[in-house]
Amino acid sequence: MNILHLLKAFLITGVMLMATAVSAEVPLPEIQTGEGNCVEPTDIMRKDHMNFIYHQRDETMYQGIRTSKYSLKQCVSCHAIKDDQGEYVRANDPKYFCTSCHEYVAVKIDCFECHADTPRSTDKHELRVNE
Amino acid sequence: MSFLTILFATLFYFATAVLLFGVGYKIWQYAITPAPLKIPTMPAPITKLGVVLRMTEEVVLFKSLFKSNKWIWIFGWMFHFALLLVLLRHLRYFQEPVWWWVDLIQPVGMYAGFVLVIGLLGLITRRIVVARVRYITSPSDHLMLILIISIGLTGLAMRYILRTDIVSVKAFMLGLLYLDVQPIPTDWLFLTHITLVISLLLVFPFSKLLHAPGIFFSPTRNQVDNPREKRHIAKWAAKLDATRKS
Repeated sequence: MNILHLLKAFLITGVMLMATAVSAEVPLPEIQTGEGNCVEPTDIMRKDHMNFIYHQRDETMYQGIRTSKYSLKQCVSCHAIKDDQGEYVRANDPKYFCTSCHEYVAVKIDCFECHADTPRSTDKHELRVNE
Repeated sequence: MSFLTILFATLFYFATAVLLFGVGYKIWQYAITPAPLKIPTMPAPITKLGVVLRMTEEVVLFKSLFKSNKWIWIFGWMFHFALLLVLLRHLRYFQEPVWWWVDLIQPVGMYAGFVLVIGLLGLITRRIVVARVRYITSPSDHLMLILIISIGLTGLAMRYILRTDIVSVKAFMLGLLYLDVQPIPTDWLFLTHITLVISLLLVFPFSKLLHAPGIFFSPTRNQVDNPREKRHIAKWAAKLDATRKS
């Protein structure tokens, strides 16, 4: 019967997949640690960082209350890392603090489509001033 | 390793084994069960390709259900399609790197969670409100609906109310796949979600949820309409046929 051959094929594929899985190590994201202390404990940040950032955005943009506790700029300034050449790692690099985990769990970051992903130095107007 | 990690890892392996062997056994049983009569529901396709198309229509669009009851079709189809999207969204916890199209459908899957729950609420309302349906409803019908609704609600709550550290969720799930168990996140909402999912895996091979593989074995849907061109005869009947003295 055809269906029985099909079942056997499935079973064999399954066993082979298991075998390849066993031969490798669990991939985990490489999480960089920032400088100094964060504004919240790590386990709270891991769950709720997006809420803090969104809340901060709403307060700043809609109500004009600009505080620095949960500001994205502060996140970036502590968590920015440099590569071997001494250049800041950019947000599209898997080594970037946010990107390592966000890529791991397939969550898109849209912060850096507008905001700077490194501490200041890549701001266009500042570069122009420096010239 | 904590007690919870060991407990849930063991439960997961056990539940997966029960699901695979249970459903595998049921499929084997369906496959060897003889269909002695030629009984495709008319109008029926007269070629094998036609049967494949008919079956695809059944599985993808629930065509017979659409023709028989529009309300069940609306809620049932909503639920099943949303379930597909939600399951595909969950693939991200089981693979590294994540496939590009799994990445792409993440936002869709997020809202599919609501559609899934709304569909099921529609179905359970029908079982409670419509008297003649209530009369033929057994406790297990409610159990399945409530189980999947709870899974949906705890999942949505984790996304929109009380968040969980999904990086460690993924590490735990991948750890199970790689046979290198990682610590499980201990948020109560996540543990509830995962306990309900394990119960679903365990109950699947013993429940009405077997309609998933079962539909492919429905003689009224999977037979070619060619009784005159080709004699239909079950295997056991063929043996009797050969020894028959006319």
